[in-house]
Amino acid sequence: MSGPSGGREARWADWARAAEDPRRAAEKPEALDGLLVLDCAVEHYGGHVLGGFLGELGAEVVKLEPPGGDPARAWGPADVGVRGEGLAYLAEGRNRYYATLDLASTDGQTLFRELAARADVVIEGFAPGQMDVWGIGYRQLEPVNPRLVYVALSTHGQFGPRSEGSGPEYDLIDQALSGLAYITGEPGDVGPEGGPTRVGSWISAYAQAAWGGVATLAALHWRETSGRGQMIDVSGAEALMRYLEYTLLLYHGSREVRERLGGMDIAVSVYTFIPVKDGWAFIAGYTDPNFGAICRIMGRPELAQDPRFRTTLDRTQPDKRAALRDEIARWSVNYTASEILAKVLADPGPGTVVFGPVNRPTQTLAEEHWWERGCFARLDDPIYGALTLAAPAWRMTRTPPRLKVPGRPAGFHTTHVYARHLGLGPARLAELRGRGII
Amino acid sequence: MSAPPGSTGEPYAEWAARLFDPARRHAKPEALRGIRVLDLSVIIFGPATADFLGELGAEVIKVEMPGQGDVTRILGHAGCFWKNVSVAFFPQNHGKYHVGVDMHHADGQALIRKLAARSDVLVENFKPGTTEAKWGLGYRQLREINPRLIYVANTGFGQWGPFAEGRASYDGLAQAVSGLTGISGFEGALPIKSGNYLGDWFGACLAAMGTLAALRWRDHTGEGQFVEMAQCEGLVRALDWTWVYAGLTGRDRAKTGNRDPVFVPSGIYACRDGHVALVAGTDAEFRGLAEALERPDLAADVRFATGGSRRQPAHADALDVLIGTWCATRSRADIEAAARHYGFAAAPVMSARDQYEDPHFRARGSVEELDDQVYGRVVDYGPAPQLSATPPRHKWAGRPVGWHNRHVLQGILGLPDEEIADLERRGIVGRWGDRRGAKPPDDWAGEGHLL
Repeated sequence: MSGPSGGREARWADWARAAEDPRRAAEKPEALDGLLVLDCAVEHYGGHVLGGFLGELGAEVVKLEPPGGDPARAWGPADVGVRGEGLAYLAEGRNRYYATLDLASTDGQTLFRELAARADVVIEGFAPGQMDVWGIGYRQLEPVNPRLVYVALSTHGQFGPRSEGSGPEYDLIDQALSGLAYITGEPGDVGPEGGPTRVGSWISAYAQAAWGGVATLAALHWRETSGRGQMIDVSGAEALMRYLEYTLLLYHGSREVRERLGGMDIAVSVYTFIPVKDGWAFIAGYTDPNFGAICRIMGRPELAQDPRFRTTLDRTQPDKRAALRDEIARWSVNYTASEILAKVLADPGPGTVVFGPVNRPTQTLAEEHWWERGCFARLDDPIYGALTLAAPAWRMTRTPPRLKVPGRPAGFHTTHVYARHLGLGPARLAELRGRGII
Repeated sequence: MSAPPGSTGEPYAEWAARLFDPARRHAKPEALRGIRVLDLSVIIFGPATADFLGELGAEVIKVEMPGQGDVTRILGHAGCFWKNVSVAFFPQNHGKYHVGVDMHHADGQALIRKLAARSDVLVENFKPGTTEAKWGLGYRQLREINPRLIYVANTGFGQWGPFAEGRASYDGLAQAVSGLTGISGFEGALPIKSGNYLGDWFGACLAAMGTLAALRWRDHTGEGQFVEMAQCEGLVRALDWTWVYAGLTGRDRAKTGNRDPVFVPSGIYACRDGHVALVAGTDAEFRGLAEALERPDLAADVRFATGGSRRQPAHADALDVLIGTWCATRSRADIEAAARHYGFAAAPVMSARDQYEDPHFRARGSVEELDDQVYGRVVDYGPAPQLSATPPRHKWAGRPVGWHNRHVLQGILGLPDEEIADLERRGIVGRWGDRRGAKPPDDWAGEGHLL
């Protein structure tokens, strides 16, 4: 580490790169070192992702699956899997110890209570109240371990009119309830492509995992001074709903319901997709100087003075917004995305244009930037083989997160987990195995 | 069935409703009480990071340019102002302390340094290196006066790397380059944006999580650190099996519209009074759906009996037609009730109005009413996670530019009156200008100032 002033001699980008370098993470400590997390999210992707997030930050995460494995191991695209497992589970199965335990059995519940007694965090995604029925919900665990942070994930949450009797969580249902589906997609309801539209990934699971992580770490910070744990309730629908910005406040203030705008933006223009020679791209420049820069780059500086497009407010009127997009499209179709990007980067200003291609995933993977930053990892795993995975999203100079192990088959670490945490040896484990508890 | 051990016999739902009772939020302690966040950021990505920490009890000081303030005060839905502010400003600026300081001026920078020396977290979302090169407020400078500082920097492409230098980013670009747009919507159709600024909000949430991980490290060691979050990389991280699939096959996953490619049947269907999302992801759920459709024979049909077979596109398309026809003559409530009765999943596609009027969200406080001293009755989304012992909460809505100048400069920093007056005279410290977005509502009676 450099001295008080020595560090400033390096260019900022070089300093930041050296200080964060994900490739040198192994030389540094982990933020959540020493934290024991029991991940008993079964058939629940948000819980699975949350376990991975905490594992990336250094927690010891123990996944407890039913004997025979989590049915979610089958989730993934229809046309390809690895070792008979679906790709979705593997994509987020990182940094965990995999043990099995039948939580529905009395003996399984006893073992779980013993594990929870020494755990810091429990994650579950069963139907609300299921763990309570099994006698291992927060209300039963809290007396055993008052320091426990217990995270329950579900569609509707643990209370409220829709909560009771609610079923398994699906991302599509969360997207619908969150209001995101309503404002995503082409306007109107006509045709197969009109109407509310799903965002392509299981985004509610990620929103839920991020909120679960925020809440868990805040609870752990509070535990430092209070000595007390608590229960956390994260609804996947609400996790995503909190990302809906002013959709609700617009209704409160004006009684206007925010509608779908396809590739357009409600607040600003230019801020949209345009066709290019080799596909589609995104372009934005909505303040006057930035819009002027778009016009200059297009070789049409006079367009900035066109009475239809003179102010931000003009440009955002729906008909003008579309007309402006079409003006740009007539120009942009003649160039590839990288040709336009080169023009954008060469523009001396004033004004800044935001531009880039609409990438298909393989196109993102072909860009060097992400690989240099360690945003992706290519692993050659002894069990699962060659895998391309998204690496941890955070960069941290002192406690960088890291991707260690992509995943393991169900029960891979059962012997280790019960020996390490409960001191159980082969004889007892064989007996439990024989009775189907593990 | 006997009561489970440890239970008092109180039904779970009632116990949970009592445990999390939103009416008691303000009666409970705050998880991040005593943590001070210095928020130098603008628009959404940075301000939301600070806001999420503020919901959990951190004291957030938001620094804005005197006069105009954060651009979201004026940007929003086609010039739609509510009580002199764009509604776009509020959702990422709850309960903050607003101070107007011109960071372009050396004396303004000195004020920020004084605040940074007494802060636990700093959040900014300028272009990489800006705070250091332009204002002397970069991490390398501030850690010298406060080694415990957690400095959080949010950007589009990161602080370093080929795209990081000279390339600006917005949420829409992050959606495009990350691959999110490329896997969303319908094959062959125009690309669509996620209707919200998803990259901003999800990125902000991850940034808050990274901040809290750094705080845990500091709790144990006393060491601060630099934390960065790139919007594009947040979305890359949120594309589930996209990358494994591309890595193994060399192909892009198909855009499948509203059909979840893993759980079939699934989709969004028009019904009598709007749209519903419907999923029957397991064989048991599909049997339930077949019953609801009054077509129990479907569950035995070789095309539909197993998930593998249902996922074949022709079979899935056939199911879409049957489900679509069934939904068309029913209301959203009918379909939701049938889903509960027959054991599959369905929910209304909720609009803002639906959410506003929804008793479930109101009961949970995820849609909540705030009685605000300056803005009056505000109905907005409440905090997302529920914490039983330290519930997050909203205390007041946003405030005009520089509203808390005296509180921050005098109450926290202890600057004498004459120094503040001098800074104000020179325009280094200031409040709102007489312009919409920055100033209080017209009916504001001049109340509510601290100091």
